[in-house]
Parts: sequence; C-alpha cells; structure tokens
Amino acid sequence: MKDNHPIRESELMMTRRQLFGRMALGLGTAAMADLLGPSLLSAGAPSGQTGTHHTPKAKRVIYLFMSGGPSHHDLWDYKPKMTEMFGEQLPDHIRDGQRVTGMTANQKNGLPVAPSKYKFTQHQNNDRGVWISELLPHTASVAKELCVVHSTFTEAINHDPAITFIQTGSQIPGRPSLGAWLSYGLGNLNENLPGYVVMHAHTSFPEQSLFNRLWGTGFMPSDHQGILLRSQGDPVLYLSNPKGVSSQDRRAQLDTLAAINQGQHKQFADPEILSRIRQHEMAYRMQSSVPELMDLSQESPETIELYGQEARKPGSFAACCLNARRLAERGVRNIQIFHRGWDAHGSLPREHESQCKDIDRGCAALIKDLKRHGMLDETLVIWGGEFGRTAYCQGGLTRENYGRDHHPRCFTTWMAGGGVKAGITYGRTDEYGYNITDADGNTLIPQPSTDKWTPGTMHIHDLNATILHLLGIDHKRLTYRYQGRDFRLTDVHGHVLHDLIA
Amino acid sequence: MARRVALILTGLPPDPEQLSRYLEDEREDAYERLVDELLANPRFGEHQARYWLDAVRYGDTHGLHLDNRRGIYPYRDWVVKAFNNNLPLDDFITWQLAGDLLPNPTLEQRVATGFVRMNPTTSEGGAIPAEFQAKNNFDRVENLGTVLLGMTLNCTRCHTHKYDPIQQTEYYRLMAFFNNTAEYSMDGNAYVYGPVIRAPENQADWNQWTALETERETLLSQAGEEIERRLTEMQLHAEPTTHWSSENWKISKTVSMESPIPPEKDWDKAGDLPGIRRGNLPGGEKAVWLSFDVSVPVDQVLWLTYSGGPDSLVFINEIQMPLPHERVEDQRITSVELAFSEGSHQIQVKMAGTMTLTAVEARLDNAWQTMASEGMWEACTSKERLLMLADARGPLGHVVFQNPAHDLVDRITRKISTFTTSLVAKDRSTPRTTQLLRRGEYNLPTGDPLQPGILKVMGAFPKGAPRNRLGLARWLTSREHPLVSRVLINRIWQRTFGEGLVRSSENFGLQGTQPTHPGLIDWLAVELQDSHWDLKHMLRLMVTSRTFRQQSNWRQDINDPPNLLLARGPSYRLDAEVLRDLSLWASGQLDPHMGGEGVKPYQPSGMWLAMAHPGSNTKRYVKDEGRRLYRRSLYVYWKRTSPHPMMSLFDAPSRETSCVRRSRTNTSLQSLGLFNETQRLEMSRLLAERLIREQPNDEERLNLLFGLLAGRNPTDNEKTACEGLLDKLRKRYATAEEDALALLSYGDTLRNTKLNPVEHAAWSQVAITVLASDVAILLY
Repeated sequence: MKDNHPIRESELMMTRRQLFGRMALGLGTAAMADLLGPSLLSAGAPSGQTGTHHTPKAKRVIYLFMSGGPSHHDLWDYKPKMTEMFGEQLPDHIRDGQRVTGMTANQKNGLPVAPSKYKFTQHQNNDRGVWISELLPHTASVAKELCVVHSTFTEAINHDPAITFIQTGSQIPGRPSLGAWLSYGLGNLNENLPGYVVMHAHTSFPEQSLFNRLWGTGFMPSDHQGILLRSQGDPVLYLSNPKGVSSQDRRAQLDTLAAINQGQHKQFADPEILSRIRQHEMAYRMQSSVPELMDLSQESPETIELYGQEARKPGSFAACCLNARRLAERGVRNIQIFHRGWDAHGSLPREHESQCKDIDRGCAALIKDLKRHGMLDETLVIWGGEFGRTAYCQGGLTRENYGRDHHPRCFTTWMAGGGVKAGITYGRTDEYGYNITDADGNTLIPQPSTDKWTPGTMHIHDLNATILHLLGIDHKRLTYRYQGRDFRLTDVHGHVLHDLIA
Repeated sequence: MARRVALILTGLPPDPEQLSRYLEDEREDAYERLVDELLANPRFGEHQARYWLDAVRYGDTHGLHLDNRRGIYPYRDWVVKAFNNNLPLDDFITWQLAGDLLPNPTLEQRVATGFVRMNPTTSEGGAIPAEFQAKNNFDRVENLGTVLLGMTLNCTRCHTHKYDPIQQTEYYRLMAFFNNTAEYSMDGNAYVYGPVIRAPENQADWNQWTALETERETLLSQAGEEIERRLTEMQLHAEPTTHWSSENWKISKTVSMESPIPPEKDWDKAGDLPGIRRGNLPGGEKAVWLSFDVSVPVDQVLWLTYSGGPDSLVFINEIQMPLPHERVEDQRITSVELAFSEGSHQIQVKMAGTMTLTAVEARLDNAWQTMASEGMWEACTSKERLLMLADARGPLGHVVFQNPAHDLVDRITRKISTFTTSLVAKDRSTPRTTQLLRRGEYNLPTGDPLQPGILKVMGAFPKGAPRNRLGLARWLTSREHPLVSRVLINRIWQRTFGEGLVRSSENFGLQGTQPTHPGLIDWLAVELQDSHWDLKHMLRLMVTSRTFRQQSNWRQDINDPPNLLLARGPSYRLDAEVLRDLSLWASGQLDPHMGGEGVKPYQPSGMWLAMAHPGSNTKRYVKDEGRRLYRRSLYVYWKRTSPHPMMSLFDAPSRETSCVRRSRTNTSLQSLGLFNETQRLEMSRLLAERLIREQPNDEERLNLLFGLLAGRNPTDNEKTACEGLLDKLRKRYATAEEDALALLSYGDTLRNTKLNPVEHAAWSQVAITVLASDVAILLY
C-alpha cells in the first residue's frame, strides 16, 4: 500500500478514541495527545514513555471509599476533652453559625456533646505518633505506612450532593468522575482488562444509594466509565458465553465477524471499524483474563490469612481488597471499592463496629500485601468518605449509644504508598473535632475555603489535585472542553499538598 | 439508501415488503414517495422523540438520593404524538414552557409542561428546602440554555460570562421565570409530586381522547343555538345548585378488600375540601375507605370523582350505588353522577387498590358552579358545558342533544377512568422573590428583587407579552430570536447526517466550533421559521437532498476523514435503542404497542439492589412478563441513577443532565453485550426460526438475513464467511445436541420444537454474529 493512499492516511489520522486503543503501546493518552501536540501522534513514541505532565510518584490508585461519612470522632480524631463535656450543649462559638442539616436543626435535646465511647491508643509512626481507636486494630498495625489527614473538608452536608462533589468535583450531577478523569489522563496499560474497575463491597447497613455517576463520565465519552466488577452473576456484565456456546464457538463467530467487518472497512475506510475489531478481540481475551483474575485458588494460604477468611466470600470488603491487589498486579491503574453503611445517625456504635469489622483487616492486608509484593511505593491507596460526623449527638444520648449527623467542616482521610509521606499526620481540629485549627490549636480566621488554600487544611478539591499530582498529572492542565469551557476535575480550585508528598 | 433513510426517520429498517415495493417503483419520485411514507409512519414520532427526551433529560425516577419512581410518562407519549402530528416546533416549545398559561389550555398543552418538571429532585433527610429551590431552578435555566439557546449558562450562575456577553444578573432574571412554579422544592420521594394532572395512559388512549374531545366540541357547537335560547333558564337553574356543602371528609387506613367499613379509630381527617389528594393507593387486594357528608337545599346532581380500581364501591346512606359504567380492567379513577334529594346524606366509598400506581384522590363537583357565578356560557369549561347539556334534570334535559351528550359523558368517563397522573407546571398565585445569589450560593441573596427578564444580547422581549413563562416562550419563538431556530435545525441536521453543521451542537457561543457551512445553516434556520416551524418539511428537505443521497463510501479524491466537506454520505454506529429495536424487529417480535409506563426487559440480577438505598422503591428490578419484554426501547424504564446496562453500554446518557449529542464509543464490553445478552440471544433464536421457516435453503436464508439487516444480499466474501461458520456449528451441535438445546433456552418465549435443534442453534449463532457485525450496527 502506498503511503499517500487515502485509506492509509485515514488510519494515520487517528481519532482520540482510537488513540486509546493503542495505549497499550505506552503512547500516552488522548489527553496527553492534546497536551504534547500532534507530533507524537504520527511519529509514534518510544515505548515506555509515560506522557504525563511530570514524573509520577504513583503508577496506579486504589481508592477505598467509605460511603455515608465515617465518624472521625470514633475512628481517628482523638478528643479526650469531650469525655468531660458529655451531654453539655456544644458551645455557640464552636458551631459559629454553621448550618446544620434538617435532621438535627430543631432537635429537642439541642446539640449535646457526644464523646466517643471507644478507647484510643497512640501508635508509633514516623512522626509524633498517631491516635487510632480500638475499632481499627489491624489498620493500626500499619500506622507507619499511613499519611493521616485530619483536616479534610467539604461544603456539602447531604449525601447525594457530597458524594457527587467528592467524586466529580461538583455537587450537581453531570461532570466526569475522578476515575473517568484518571482514565482520560492515564489510559489503560492492560490489553486484557478494563483500565478502570469499580467494586461494591458488602455491608450490613446498605443505607446509602450509590449512583452510576460516581464512576460515570458526565460529558466525556463513555468509554472512560468505570467497569463494575460484580460479585453476583458475571463479574463483568455479559462476560460469560451463553450455555451451549464454547470458547471455540465464539472464536469462530469472531473470525466470521472480523471477515464481515473487514469487508465494511474496505468499502467505508472508517477507522472506527478497525477499532471495533480490536475491541471484539479484547472482549474475547477478557473472557479468560477476568475468570483468571477472580480465581483466588492460586493465592497462598498465607495471603488468605492476611486478608482473613472473609476474603473467600465474594463481594466482602476483604475479597474486594484482594481483587484490588490482583488487578494492580495485572496493570489495572484505576481501582475503586465502594463500601456503604457509614451513615450512623442513630446507633453509631452498633453500626460502626460492624462496619469496621468489615473493612479493618482488608485495609491493613492490602497495604501489607502491596508492600511485600514491592508494589506499595507505586500504588496510591486512599481511604475516606464524603464528610465526617458531628461532635454532637443526633437522637438520644447515653454513654453507650448515640448517633451523629453529617459534618462537612472536618473529617479524616488517609493515604498510603504511591509517593505520600509514610507515617505522618496532617492537620488539626479543635477539641470538639468540629473546626479545623492551625498547628497550635487556634481557630482559623477566616475559616478555610476554596477561595484560598490555608496551610494545614485539605479541601476535597485539594485531595483530588494531590491524587492527580501523584499520578503525574497537573490538575490545572488536565482539561476537557465541553460547551466551550475547558473543564477540570478541580473546577477553578485545588491546591496540591506538597507537604504530604515524600 | 432505503435502509439509510428509514433508519434516520423511523429508527428501523424498511419493511421487506415496503423495500421491494420501493425497488420496483419505477416512477421518478419513488424515493420521495418512500420518504413521505416513512414520515407518516407512527414509528417516526417515537424515533424523533428519543433525541428530545435526551435533551430534556426525561427519566422515570426522581434522579437523586432514593431515586424513587416518578409519574411523568404521559409527557413522553405526548412528545411522540407531537412529532407524529407534526406540531409546529414553535408551538411544541411554547406548550412545554407555558402550556398551562395559554387561554383555556387543553390536556395536551398542560401535559406538555412536564418539560418544566423534568429536573432531578430529592427529598434527602437533611436537605434544606431553600437550597434545592435554588438548585432545581439552576437546573432548569441551564437546561434551557443547552436545549434551546445552544449555550452553557452555568458559568453565569456565579459570575458574569467570560466569553459570551451574558451578565450574572441576566441569569437570575431568566431564573425568575421558573422561580414561581407551585411545586415544593422537595419531591417527598413521591410518585405523585404535585401539581399533577390526569392524562391518557398510552398512545391509543391519547388518540381516543383526542377523538372524544373533537366529538365534544362538535356536539357543543351543534347545540349552540339551543343553548343560547335557554340561557336565562340556565342561569336561573344554576343559582340554587350552588348552596350545597360537604363536611367531615375522612379517609381510613389501608384494609383488605373483603374488610367491612373500618372502625372509628382507623380513620383520619382529610383536608383540601371538597376533596382530597394524598399518597398512593395500595396495590392489588387492598382498599382504603373514604367518607363524607353532603347536604343540599334542593334536589340536584353532583359529580363524585374518586380514584380506585374496578372493584371500588360507592354507598349513599349505606345503600350501594350501581357501578357508574361497565367494568374497565385498568381503572384508576372514575366519576359518578349522584342525584340527591333535599337534605343531608352520608357518602362512603371503598377505593379499591389498583394494578398500577395511582394517587388517592377524591373530589365533589357541581357542573353548574361557573354558570351560577359568571352567568355566561363562554366562561364555562368544555367539561362543564357538556355536563350541563347532559344533565337530565336541568333546563336542557329535554332538548335533542341531551341524549347524545349523556352518552358522550359516559364514554368520556370510561376513558378517563384509566388515566394516570403526570407532573405538570403551574404557577403560584403569589410570586416568589428572586434575587441574585452571590457565587451561586442559595444562602447569599444580594441586591434588589429581580423581575423575570431575558438575555439582552438575544433581542428584545416581545411587546405586550406577559412577564411569565408564556412571555419567555414568545421571546424564544419570535422571528427576531437569533438562536433558537439555528440551534434546533442544527440538531435536526445532526441526527440526519451524524454531525451538526455546528459540530459542537451543545455550544453556539464564542468557544464553540464555527459552522462548516455558515450559509446553509442560516438558510435552514430561516426556512424553518418560514415553513411555520414544520419539522417534517425540514427533514424531507434534508433527506431528499443530494448531499444526503451521496454514497457514504470512502472517496479517493478528497482527504477529509471527519467529512467536514460533506462530500460523502453519513456513516456511524447506531444508537443503543436502535440496536435493540433492530433485533426485535428482525425477529418479528417488536411489539407495536405505543406508550404507557416504562417497560422492564431482561437485566442481569442485582444491579439495582447493589446500589440502592433500602428505602428506595426502585431498589428491586422486577422484569416484566409477556409482550412488554418486546416493546420498543424508547419505552424501556429509565432509572436515572442506573439506566438499563445495554443502554449505558452503548452511550445512552443517564438523563440526569441534558444531552444533545451522545458520544459513540467502541468498547470491549459492548462486544460482550452484543453476543451474550439474554434479549439478543432470544431474538437471534427467533430470527433463526424466521429464516428457517421462510426460506428453503442456506443461500436464500442468508439473503433474507442480510436483506433484513443490511438491505442487500451478502457479498461473496460475507457469504463464504457465514457458510463456513454455519458448517462448523452444524458439525459441533450435531455431536452435542444438549448444547444446542441449552443455547435455545434463553428468553421467556419457548423454542419451536418442530425445528431441528442442531440446525436452529447453528442458525441462531450465525444470526447473532451478523446482528453484531458492522453491516447491522452501522448506518451507511
């Protein structure tokens, strides 16, 4: 075929989507194609070039999302003074006019301080130690790996807007999710598995809704959406051949299909036709790579022991964590586990005890497992929810039982591996765990906001900016044009927290 | 070409019979005749409606938090009807924005205002009403911007637009048009999220309803002279009928159907006199009881309207009334004429549970009320006029029109009895104050109250137009408006040619792409207005153009991969809905029923449950039975936080926000869906059956298969490939008949046992392969 043949030329003039099909070559990504200029496109890039804005610290991310808002009071943010304040009204100067949700705004018992009933222990890290509650004994055993941020904050106070905000950068639906941005920015390194995988872990309290939009693409092309790895039925939708159709049968079908499609391509020369042929082949490979991925029988008894016997139960948080490591090993760069049930308005102790039991061992095992495989350095692990919980009680308060409402002003998030400082804490809150303070415990005036970054604080835009940064992406330069505007995950905000980066 | 134009206009290939008629038609205008046939096909409206529903973000659920069911599908059916009837697009827009504000609005005009109610809503526990009042309105303004103005207004929510000449104040002036609607900002997680209106349940009912309305108007005009003669008599009759009163409205707890009238403690007082509306009726074998007292000073007739299934009962002073009309299986609400003698009476109604969800509703009306207060025939609604004419005890009781009127009332009542509810727009009597919200924060209103107003850069507000949604519609559809007709015609072009003349069809602002053919889009926009906004005319122009009728083959002489020059015909992958409909159609299973509540075809189990709130009424996906499984994809139930996976897989939007241009991706998961999804397996089996039954040999069967899906016979290459596959599969299934039987067991329909399973299985796998191939899934 001559080089200037129009069909050949059309193949060279790849569309953005097509470029994706080729990312396994290490060519970079559609987004990078824009950033680096068109010369790379036709020239082809040397294998192994990452095409990121700067040298990435992490190659992949595993996001453990605790949907519903875990209580920082009962897990991470130790407030011994609150014990003395049991049942007293939260002082007005602490609340400081902060809006309260419709659920506690007109409570008969006002806003009584509810100290945590759980024992906290200081665990050694690489800094001044970190206080962790007895609900998370396994996580505490990896304290030296954790970068614990006490000063995460958001503006949203209800689940739907808050979870949409932290996952898409906007409280109103319609934007691409963090995962979609990463898919757009990083592409897929694996030819046999999807690049962005989402899992839903079992909980005894499935009390929040999840929405497709949390791993959806908003206005981006839908091939960046997260692929659900399910614990019920086919792990990937429609993965299995129907009964009565063998892998050889499917091979024969795909060969026939390719012959028909090649004919179409001869006539129409649409590069999308070739791209589709490749996708059919990838689907065929996935039919063996996904079952292989899900088959835990190759895992040693020690590994299973690390995660606990729960890991044998499909859909358990531990099983999801183990799958996450297996996905990471196979080059999947973008993994999210959603665990619901953290919305403890009423019986927080009963619910959080069960929730922590679900996740604690899995979290610790994942970190240990990544570490012994030599992968922790290059894998960013994130743990957190959409907001925290209030210092005051919702509903009836006793020493043994209490509930907590939604609290956006501060909550705890941790990260590990992937280029973050290991074994540190960051940010501080007041003695009620209500407001973020400066390093000396003084109230911040003005309160931190997205207008200007305040040292020691981490708005969720800052968190997202930092995640992108660790993966080699400048959050201000990763843009997608829609309706004439260059959209960013972090909107016009976001500050990379260099203090957290090793 | 026939396949292309049929897919563009109706979303389905031409019927084989229609195709051969066209191919044999030697008249010069054979193609134009085919186009006219397609434009008149009811499938046209369904297909065109789909694009509009994406743009206005139509869904069957509220969209946020619990994502509960929402009753608004009559709006969807109205859109289909409007396109099929070729309602001029300016009316199409006006009715949707402000049908309720038109003089004496029709049912259609009011249902159309569902457009204003299409924004996602919530009732999350801690949500703050004022916050969502603002968010709901932001959503409406921004949707209007995308759908009709082709621009994003989102930026101006927080600051004056950086690129386009729009001020922040103007955003809030525009918002003021919507800030006055009567619904509460929280949806209460309710199916019936008021204001609502009763509307036909499906397309056939819409048509019958329209026919009944026409009949009513004809009868009333025939009776005109007679009525004029008796006007004084009527006024005299009307006055005493207004002195009735009712009190003590009560409603009981839910009880079983067999249960007698519940004891005193199980009753609640009901407000909203003389009537009630609250919550939903129970389903199936349950009932609630309604009770009230009525007193009348003279003998007179009142109309009682109440919701409930066909087994509902009415008692007056504990005596059961005969059923108002013959039994209607899917009854949800009905009206009954009650004749009272002077004095007090107790009414009790057993409102039986219904098969389909409906609100608890009851109302007592006097048809003479308006006549008494206004004294004028013209002031009365058509409904009241007909009831007065039909009233055997009234002054028109003996005129010749009384009998036909009474008969018509009966038929109308029976028709209305299956009406469902649909969300509509209605304005409050006292307007809300709108102020600029600093940084778009609901709790930071600043400055003076703002009057509703338009974007200055887009022409003046029409003289004499009211400062409400109707005025807004008049501005948008005025001849001077520079954008609306351009934006609409660009999207019509986009769905005809695959790409718009302005490729960024969602953005006509400075940051959007320039039109590829500026003169053409200008001309088309003006032609749209000159033709009185005639959609079918515009589509006819496009699909009969030489540009459209070009081959879509690659051209050696022009280097233009994105086809910016329009030097070849359109070619692209078909949408999710078309792919599914195609398999239903080719196998002869496509159910022609139009409209009605969203249908639930096969879906992998647990998909909703894995994500839903335990309190959500959409947490369990219950697959439909029978013909509903084979309904057109337009009617597939749309849960906004989790649409059907075969829709999402092929780039259908979630309908949480506006989508005026879908992406067209190729993914490996699509491949898995094309080959392994239950409905496609079932359809390929039925398609195989059709091939085997209709044609005698392999060659003819392949011809039929390709004829259906590609509109032509297979090429030699395709034939060889398919025969090779067929051969392999025959050998394979001959040695493993149990595999053949297993494969043939997918779906609810049973396999035709008269067919040899080996042959049937082999053909069904050939069929699914060709159905998945680019000859079937592409437009070309």
